[in-house]
Amino acid sequence: MTLSKVLLVEDDPDIQVVARMSLKVSGVPEVVIASNGEECLAMVRQVKPDLILLDVMMPKLDGYETCRRLKADPETQLIPVIFLTAKAQHYEVKQGMELGALGYLTKPFDPTTLHSQLLELLQQNGS
Amino acid sequence: MDSAKTKARITIESELLDSILSAVAVVDREGRLAYCNRAFAQRAGIERGQWVGRPAAELLTLLQPRLFPADVAETSLRWSNDEKESMQEVEWREGERTTHLREDSGPWRDAQGKVAGRIFLYHDISREKEIDRMKSEFISVASHELRTPMTSIKGSIDLVLSGFAGQVTSETQELLEIAHKSCDRLIRLINDILDLAKIEAGQVRFKKVLLDLTDPVERAIRGVKPVADQAGVSIRLVRPDSLPQIEADKDRMEQVVTNLLGNAIKFSPENGEIVVELSLHDHWVQCAVIDRGCGIAPQDLEKVFGRFQQVGEPSRKGGTGLGLAIAQGLVHEHNGKIWVESQVGKGSQFLFRIPAAAVKASG
Repeated sequence: MTLSKVLLVEDDPDIQVVARMSLKVSGVPEVVIASNGEECLAMVRQVKPDLILLDVMMPKLDGYETCRRLKADPETQLIPVIFLTAKAQHYEVKQGMELGALGYLTKPFDPTTLHSQLLELLQQNGS
Repeated sequence: MDSAKTKARITIESELLDSILSAVAVVDREGRLAYCNRAFAQRAGIERGQWVGRPAAELLTLLQPRLFPADVAETSLRWSNDEKESMQEVEWREGERTTHLREDSGPWRDAQGKVAGRIFLYHDISREKEIDRMKSEFISVASHELRTPMTSIKGSIDLVLSGFAGQVTSETQELLEIAHKSCDRLIRLINDILDLAKIEAGQVRFKKVLLDLTDPVERAIRGVKPVADQAGVSIRLVRPDSLPQIEADKDRMEQVVTNLLGNAIKFSPENGEIVVELSLHDHWVQCAVIDRGCGIAPQDLEKVFGRFQQVGEPSRKGGTGLGLAIAQGLVHEHNGKIWVESQVGKGSQFLFRIPAAAVKASG
């Protein structure tokens, strides 16, 4: 399994750089960045990513609501969504998973294993 | 006491009860409203004279549309033969406005000590609830705001160390490894501070299930093995063939044992052995983590569960200074007990007990 295009939805510019570099260095050719949920929804149909890596606490539209809208839209509901967030309580993970996300990765993440963790989650879910 | 004095006393008591802000109601053994103070009547919107002596169930029917959640409201203001004191929280909704009430109830005993009814006190705890919500929000925001910069600092160092940004000299590598190690330490400290704050604020949501304590204990031993190996310390598990189940959060039990083991490793001499002993004591499942370290002086025993307390001379560095405080908080949240027994020069044993889950009668 390979990932050729990831849509990274993250408001922190430094984390955008680290996550993008981490994915690029581990073999993902294209990483497109959205700075919040609104931007993600605006560009997702055009970008057509293999995966959306979604932060939770963001301005304008948070990750939970973004995920809910992605899963409610027949055009985007099949795109796998994985949360990458500092919100790591049981109930927060549960809330994310109930919205139809494939998995939940917590910050701080290890950039040297981020890609392999994403692939593992996709494989576990047969995506 | 003559009747005039009795009357005067009753008047004073009634005036006192009418002067307090909390609502008070008394239900007698026949389930009738025996008394209510002014605050109760005002909140319920009733005329006292019309309701005292009438069935409390009728009053409850009148009030129930404003009491939430419904299952909790069901048990409110009811006579029961239960002599125990109890406490529950209910919400009182009046239009758009919600007031959080804590209902304390207990037996009303007459002069001979016989139970004559049940007293209900309703305290407005809306302010406390608001503070709890603010605490919760603070923890959530602090957690996010502290972890976000740590993510980019650690991530950047990781990427440079992995050679992504080009070859690094051995000196640069050494300095980056120090920065990396310190980042990890800071992340552990942030996690522990937030964890302890959440436990103390009652903000941890536990996923309690029936489990055998052996399982999280074994997972904790596996988890700390690399650190123990590095320190030259071995860990041996001693357990009976079977143990009753406990109702607990598996991850949190593992965290308790991990913290106790982390402490034991820190104080164990090289080539030392730590014994983890599981046993049953009456209705308690007990776990003891026994080390052969320097031990703790009697006057310091109480300090060990405090925050950032360093008691004795550890054989090696590490830990955030909050591990035992977190373990104590988690054990208490499981209705358990935790303590330490120690002899200077011989070692310490940290013990905790969790109540065994009640076995449901078959048939």
